[in-house]
Amino acid sequence: MTTTFVDHAAVTATRPASARVWRWFGRYGALLVLAILVVGTSILEPTTFATYDNFINILNQSALSAIIAMGLTFALVTGEFDLSIGNVASLSGVVCLSTMVDKDISIPVALLLAVLIGAVVGLLNGLVVTLMNVNALVATLGIGTVAVGVNYAVAGGTPVGLPDPGSFIQLTLGRFLGIPYPVYMMLGLAAILWFVLNRTVLGQSMQAVGGNPVAAQLSGIRVDRVRVFAFVICGICAALTGILLASRTGSAAVSGGDSYLLAAFAAAFFGSAVLRDGEFHVLGTLVGVITVSVGFNAIALIGLETYWQYLFQGLLLILGVGVGSLARRRAAAA
Amino acid sequence: MTEATAFDDLAVAPVPEPTCLEMTGVSKQFGGHQALEDVSISLSPGRVLALCGANGAGKSTLVRILAGAESADAGTIRVHGSEVAISAPQDATRLGLSFIHQELNLVPKFTALQNMAMGADRGGRAGVLDLRALRRKAQQVQDRIGYRVPLDARVEDLAVSDRWMVSLGRSLMRDATIVAMDEPTASFTKEEAERLYGIIDELTADGVGILYISHRLEEVLQVADDVTVLRNGRLVGSFGASELDVASLTHHIVGRDVEGVTHRVTAVDPTQGPELLTVEGLTREPRVRDVSLTLHRGEILGVAGLVGAGRTELARLLIGADPVGSGSMTLDGKPYHPRSPYDAIKAGVALVPEERRSQGLILRNSVSANLGMASLRDPAGKVGTYSPRRAVRIAREAVSRFGIKTSSVHEAVGELSGGNQQKIVVGKYVLAGPQLLILDEPTVGVDVGARSEIYDIIRGLAAGGTSILMISSDFEELAICDRVLVMREGTVTASVPASRATKDHLTALCFGTDSASHEQDPS
Repeated sequence: MTTTFVDHAAVTATRPASARVWRWFGRYGALLVLAILVVGTSILEPTTFATYDNFINILNQSALSAIIAMGLTFALVTGEFDLSIGNVASLSGVVCLSTMVDKDISIPVALLLAVLIGAVVGLLNGLVVTLMNVNALVATLGIGTVAVGVNYAVAGGTPVGLPDPGSFIQLTLGRFLGIPYPVYMMLGLAAILWFVLNRTVLGQSMQAVGGNPVAAQLSGIRVDRVRVFAFVICGICAALTGILLASRTGSAAVSGGDSYLLAAFAAAFFGSAVLRDGEFHVLGTLVGVITVSVGFNAIALIGLETYWQYLFQGLLLILGVGVGSLARRRAAAA
Repeated sequence: MTEATAFDDLAVAPVPEPTCLEMTGVSKQFGGHQALEDVSISLSPGRVLALCGANGAGKSTLVRILAGAESADAGTIRVHGSEVAISAPQDATRLGLSFIHQELNLVPKFTALQNMAMGADRGGRAGVLDLRALRRKAQQVQDRIGYRVPLDARVEDLAVSDRWMVSLGRSLMRDATIVAMDEPTASFTKEEAERLYGIIDELTADGVGILYISHRLEEVLQVADDVTVLRNGRLVGSFGASELDVASLTHHIVGRDVEGVTHRVTAVDPTQGPELLTVEGLTREPRVRDVSLTLHRGEILGVAGLVGAGRTELARLLIGADPVGSGSMTLDGKPYHPRSPYDAIKAGVALVPEERRSQGLILRNSVSANLGMASLRDPAGKVGTYSPRRAVRIAREAVSRFGIKTSSVHEAVGELSGGNQQKIVVGKYVLAGPQLLILDEPTVGVDVGARSEIYDIIRGLAAGGTSILMISSDFEELAICDRVLVMREGTVTASVPASRATKDHLTALCFGTDSASHEQDPS
């Protein structure tokens, strides 16, 4: 008792109430941040921010990050890491475009090929982690670096552009009912991934493995297999983001998707503080990505310099995760 | 401890330091359970004091108090004559106390030298390791005990006994004057054990006092100068090793009091029924050696033994958690070779593991998620879908069936009491519908009420035709068994029918000293 960091008299007086407040804050604090952002910017920039078009725009801006980050969530849920997702996104974009350009392969086949590459990299990650018993950070760093090498070999180091962008660009530019395709993809994928994680045996097994791998194994869960699946899902999502990125920019650079790595981690960790007590989950990750997009959008509309984006994103991550974890500790102590 | 005269030989001393360690009137209570009551021990420099007692006699608690891992409710500790307070492990180290536990606290990826240097606190200037000085010191230590472990070999590549020597080396690097050894020879070969005795002689010649904890009584009598016996947390007495033999020591350990045992009464004797599991010559060195046993349908078979007898290791082999060295098993007449717990559960064999918090539960997850964990692949999964509603319904049924006290099935299991947590672990495996349920120490840390409820669950399952293999160190609870096997040093040494499975008889068998027991072959 002497080690508690809170004032004693105050705690004993308000114990149940303060515990409830902290618990609430731990779960809903991150959503509160999003709400404050939305309300604050709406007041500051009522004509540009608080419009339907801007809302759709924000979702569209979120789509690519969201897809890769939701995939990463699967690795994190099983207690693993994946540092190769940025490299996979780059590689899949390059493979997709260069096969269309050089080999004259049709769009659907090229897309399939790119997704397959993501799955294969994920499979390799999983096998290295489970069969060779290599720490996931090391394994995915290694496999990711190999992916960079393959990428250079395929593209020769120069950006690949489309001579006739037309229909491939429609993948991200096209709209249905006025809403861009990537928004549908993001929401559709979110629904699918949510279902996999929460309504399938595989998803339950993943959560069990992440919670306590020893207990999971003794409960008859094939822990290694589950881990491999998580890496494969992670790889596929990274490849999808890479394809959409190539479509949106009409070209694919060797390091085009690399910046998604840290953004995805930031979103997933921020998301772990959304609605849950520090557990990774698909919906939380989605909220995390959207919160960042709202912030960026607000910074642009208010007319702040670009460096504010980085300050915002960094602080958001620290505050989201830090406040959540602090609040849980206080709730437990109170 | 009246024969202290043996110690002052030619020394002209005015009795400077008669004991290096003295614990007086130590008591410790856990919850309502009196783990130690007014226990005193005394160890002189250059002597070996053995601490003996059955499982739960209080030896470990005493050592934990000495190591600063627990604090005593009452009693004093004197080291080299002056009273000390040991409230943290660092205090014990500073006082020259050193502990070599069964679980050696070594870093597997470090070299032997690195492990020995850890915490030696004499690294060098400004926190920079002086590797040369450390190496010199380590070599001195090895010269002193007359045994060399390659200093640059990684500990994970060393044999178990060499790891133990590294651990001892670390104690000596810290200039320990009192070394406690907990079951040092548990995984040693005979030659390695002999070598250890030699090292102990070297150390005592240097004036080091040794606290020796072992279940092997012949060994105790060979190594120790004095023997202190504990039973149920109380001091039975301290004896000179020379005045004891194995029979009299066993008598002290077991005691005379025989408590009333309620045996299981069944209409049909399940030990005469059809066989479910047969095990033939199962071996995985060093802990499981040539185990053969037969388990019948609906039988409750107990496995008694001392800590380290290889019971948990046997259970892990039965569910495929560890690879089998040699031997064969059949389940229901068919060959049974599980390669993972997944295979075992599919075949209908489940293990309720020993450590419920680290091996049985996901503490932050809900009651329903934990209860469902072992039966995820059950009927509903056509395409492997998981229905939370169904999970909650099953969990609610299980909560009332097993009498789990929880505010809701959504509560995190970490919030529940030990007894309720244990019922959830047992329930989890019962829901997987096993033909054979193995329970490893199912009632450790469980209150009396929950304990009898767990017995009811076990009896109910057996009545329904499930076979039970129950590992327990609480020999009184083995009364619910139809038959009890005794394991000793990795193998089954006796099979005792329910009628003779009394606590003192089993304890004697565990020490391998009961004359009247060997007529029964393990079946």
